[in-house]
Amino acid sequence: MKHFTKNFAKTLLVLTGVFTRPLVAFAMQAQPVPIPESMGTMPQVEIDGTGIASVNYGNPIENGKVRYAPGIDFSDSSLLIGGAQRLYNNGIGSLGFGVLSPDEGNAGTTNPLFVHQAFVDYQAESAEFLIGRSDNRASHLVDFPTLREEDLITFTNPLDPFSNGSVLEEHRYANVASFTLNQDLTYFEDFHAQHLIDSQGIGSTSTSLNSFGAHFEYLCAPGMEPLSRVVSYGIGYEYETISQPSTRGLNQVSAGGLINLNQSLVDRVDFRAQDLVNFGSSLKSFQNLNDTYQASYNAIAGSVRYLHNPFGQPGYQISLTGGYRSFFGIDQAGSWGLAVTAAKRLGEGFDLVAQYATQWRAANLAAQYQGQTSENVGQIGLVFNFSGTFNPHISPRRTPLNTQHQYIPD
Amino acid sequence: MADNEKRDKDESHLSRRGFMSLAGTSGAAIGASMLLSRSPTALAAEPRATTFDPGTTTPDYPPRQLPKPGEKIHEFDIDLAISVHEIVPGVEMHAFTYNGTYPGPEFRVPEGDWVQVNFTNRTSELHTIHWHGVQVPCEMDGVPLGTQWPVGLGQTFKYLFRAQPAGTHFYHCHNMTTLHVQAGMFGAFIIEPKVDPVKKLFPYEREYTLLLSEVDTHLVQTQMNDMLKMMGQMTAMNQSAKLMKEMNGRMMGWFQDKNAFLNAVKSGYIPPYVSSRVGAAKPPSFNFFMINGKSFPMTDALSIRSGENIRVRLVGAGAMPHYMHLHGHDFWHVCQDGSPLANPVKMNTIPIFPGTTSDIIIQGTNPGMWHFHDHSDLSTTNNGQFPGGMMTMLMYEDADKYGVKVPNVIQVSS
Ligand SMILES: [Cu+2]
Repeated sequence: MKHFTKNFAKTLLVLTGVFTRPLVAFAMQAQPVPIPESMGTMPQVEIDGTGIASVNYGNPIENGKVRYAPGIDFSDSSLLIGGAQRLYNNGIGSLGFGVLSPDEGNAGTTNPLFVHQAFVDYQAESAEFLIGRSDNRASHLVDFPTLREEDLITFTNPLDPFSNGSVLEEHRYANVASFTLNQDLTYFEDFHAQHLIDSQGIGSTSTSLNSFGAHFEYLCAPGMEPLSRVVSYGIGYEYETISQPSTRGLNQVSAGGLINLNQSLVDRVDFRAQDLVNFGSSLKSFQNLNDTYQASYNAIAGSVRYLHNPFGQPGYQISLTGGYRSFFGIDQAGSWGLAVTAAKRLGEGFDLVAQYATQWRAANLAAQYQGQTSENVGQIGLVFNFSGTFNPHISPRRTPLNTQHQYIPD
Repeated sequence: MADNEKRDKDESHLSRRGFMSLAGTSGAAIGASMLLSRSPTALAAEPRATTFDPGTTTPDYPPRQLPKPGEKIHEFDIDLAISVHEIVPGVEMHAFTYNGTYPGPEFRVPEGDWVQVNFTNRTSELHTIHWHGVQVPCEMDGVPLGTQWPVGLGQTFKYLFRAQPAGTHFYHCHNMTTLHVQAGMFGAFIIEPKVDPVKKLFPYEREYTLLLSEVDTHLVQTQMNDMLKMMGQMTAMNQSAKLMKEMNGRMMGWFQDKNAFLNAVKSGYIPPYVSSRVGAAKPPSFNFFMINGKSFPMTDALSIRSGENIRVRLVGAGAMPHYMHLHGHDFWHVCQDGSPLANPVKMNTIPIFPGTTSDIIIQGTNPGMWHFHDHSDLSTTNNGQFPGGMMTMLMYEDADKYGVKVPNVIQVSS
């Protein structure tokens, strides 16, 4: 390009000149990897997309505002791209990068996209090391079958005491450095340090480590999820280094699991439950939403799901999810929520969905939600989830062959 | 194969090792010059089957007979388990293996003798053994849901049949064949003729069996895992009357007849092949091409001496045709699918199609070291890297006598 004059640089010829060079080689000149090497290995490339779109009617309130009623809601739609490669000595290296549209994105004015995944990961047979933006390691002990992750989030998810509440995804995702050991890809012990997203601006710096914890998790044999009595369970402890007048360090203990009430391939009924205890804060009143995430509380959530699976393929699912949350030091601040969710499978990964959710808050908590004690939202919509793997040469690690026989990454 | 080996030692004429040593006592006396003085060309030119006999496909022994008291039965135990197979150093795969080896053990039985194979399945997946090219009674043909129920976890199926017709045959699993054969479920089944016209024409001492096949290692891992997940569920079902009842007729795509299948489709069963279930077809993408389960340079060489005849049995055990080419020699195509050819054919490249077997005689006429490989060169690669795959060497043991210097080198990358 340097052979051309400035005028030429504006022409299409120069642009095509740039793009006919291998883009990777071009990028490498600008930003070499730590050890320069030829990039001759084509990685396995994975794309995972989820579209969730619904028409809502009701009075949903978040961040002290009535957000849309009625409205069109495409929040939680996401796109994730990943690359994975076999490494020397049976290791697997991968990266994931993904964005999702947060609740705020529906309005189209602020935060249209939220980076929920941006990590590099190393996996060996019995250990995994991940650094970057990913799932908050204190979340996802139990995933509840509500339509969107944020539905009933104050009951189902540990809350980020650094969040100002405007983007609910901040409770679900964090900057993570985690080291996970496993035994037979069945028992997992996770040790991690995290930066919980600090939109309230109360931490020491904007990316400093502010949360440390450990989790233990059990997963049943892969493929046996419909027929095992105990599908999964886990417990976790998290310490958050918050330093506020009323909150000097927070402790979070969580425990939960998933069991089948009716073990069946055709008529599966399962039950999941989780309890979260947040303690260490002496807050006696709420000044803002952030206080409602800091104050000491107990949140319990449970869900019963019926999955009808007539020919080995999902047919429809109905679930009832409920939660209750109360604060230890604040009266008139209890809340509960309930959601009935239904999904009918129209094709592989494609569902017609409907949900009715209601939440109730006592006066002191409702004051942070524009005084609204109750919130009711009905939704009907479509969900499409797909994933594609290109250049496949790496299998998932948790397989019958790898758990019951010798571990082979592919 | 430990059990079988024990039996084989008792019946030394059955085992390959014993067979060769017996042949050796008479064959050792045949000198190189004597072999070569008989011109195979001249012999082959004499027409040996002058008339077409349409009766020759009739089995020599009625297949539906049962053994009579006192008749010899060769009994073998074959266990099917999941093991780890190494194709070349650094490339391991989970495999379904008959008696722990990929491919399974080679059978050798005299023509007309009874064979009983006690086949025990020690995996949760379903399997059978199909005796390819052997004139068995229908019930012993090993086609699941065709001629027998597939053999489940812990079950033993006893195959009983008479070894006929003579020649090079093979066996393989017939359940989900594309997957299970790639996963290792195949092996040679050699029926030794009472009188061997090939040996008469081309006296030989040593022989080799080369099973040609290919594998998509990623597909095998993925599909084995999918099947094991489903079969784990099936095993749980088998232990629960409640699960069995509710799943009856709703899984695995098993139906009593075409009408039952049609009715199931009408009432909501979506077959796995329609585009709403599978999208576009994902054909296998073979990445390793093997001779007896190994890819070059880990394939076993063929040894020969100047003036010696060797017999090579080539078996198309996989799903692709292969075109085996020998450098520096012509060879004789002497048998096809087990049957001796009326007139051996001289060639240097022989196509081996899936399901076929071809026996060739290589004559030690050009001392040295020579490549013997699939001339569809896509198959002489390991995971796309040349050289590798379906390739081996014809090695003259007496090459140095003729001034040939055989370099001591193995090439694994280019
Ligand atoms: Cu099989």
